[in-house]
Amino acid sequence: MFKKIDFDKLKNEGLENVPMKERRDFLKMGLALTGIFAGGTIFSAVSSFDRVFASTEEFKEKYPYKPHYAMVIYQNRCIDCERCIEACAETNKVPEGGYRTRILEHDAPDAIGQQREFIPVLCNQCNIPQCTRVCPTKATYKNPTNGIVMMNITKCIGCLTCQQACPYNARYFNEEKKAVDKCNFCFDTRLSKGESLTGCAAACPAGCRNFGDLSDPSSMVYRTVHQIEKTVWVMRPEAGTKPNVFYTRG
Amino acid sequence: MKNYIINPMTAAILALSLLLAGAAVGQEHGGDIVYSKPLKSVTFSHKVHVEDKGLICDMCHARTFEMKALSAQENGDFKMQALYDGKYCGACHNGTMAFASNSRCATCHTGVKGYKTQPGEQAAASAH
Repeated sequence: MFKKIDFDKLKNEGLENVPMKERRDFLKMGLALTGIFAGGTIFSAVSSFDRVFASTEEFKEKYPYKPHYAMVIYQNRCIDCERCIEACAETNKVPEGGYRTRILEHDAPDAIGQQREFIPVLCNQCNIPQCTRVCPTKATYKNPTNGIVMMNITKCIGCLTCQQACPYNARYFNEEKKAVDKCNFCFDTRLSKGESLTGCAAACPAGCRNFGDLSDPSSMVYRTVHQIEKTVWVMRPEAGTKPNVFYTRG
Repeated sequence: MKNYIINPMTAAILALSLLLAGAAVGQEHGGDIVYSKPLKSVTFSHKVHVEDKGLICDMCHARTFEMKALSAQENGDFKMQALYDGKYCGACHNGTMAFASNSRCATCHTGVKGYKTQPGEQAAASAH
């Protein structure tokens, strides 16, 4: 007969010496290690199912919006064909010189293999937006249903404080509207008319821009943000704005 | 809009440098070919393929690509799927001879930004 082990009395020897690979292997099984006991012969673990990895911890229990619109961008798939920019300009009547989305270029001449990368950027529809916080007239606001950061152009006085506050440089002054304009995930032009994708995501020929509902476990964006095998990141996390535009490669 | 993107200046300098370096270095070639269909843009560098990698003309010409620059993009099937099927660039870019066509996208896809840096385009832009 085995001697009965009193698990409560075992001393946790700490995870410091558990190799990272082993911890990751457990994570892939859906278990997060919490301790090792009895000279490393016993592991304790808790389920990591439903844990959110790229999104922020405070939103893991429940996403604050329904639908909680988000975009996952496969950075390595962008080829700067700029069909997204064209589609955006056409859909949202973005004038020449203005932009709701742009493609950044990153050159790495010393890199092995591919030495160039294109990075699509747009409004991150932050969970904690800085722009809405600083707007003196509440012309820009977070939609309470779907979380999209929207503009009420009749209230905008063109002070451009929001532009200063935005860490993503996602806002421009639209001379025709005489107001600041920005990406709203095509809410007025497409989503509210029954379309499921933004103009840019629909126009992307490379599967780079993926749009969906982060609160829906069957959506591609949910499945990407909640896995650990591929790194998922956000732009400028230090700004603390909790973006809803995620980046990955693959 | 101009579609041919062989910069005469580049070609001239290249030809001159080749002459100076002697015929042993390589052969005359077509410089950068920038495809703009079906989307902007893809840059094929003769310099990389001929001078750096040492390919000779008839490895690609005229079976895979005609001698006339940009004739491939007039074909309706000049798309990624054709490359995956071993046509065009995919004849070599299959993962064994050269990096696979479904990898390192932005190596060849220089995009609208790459297209705008072409000398012909720059002249057109400054004329506006």
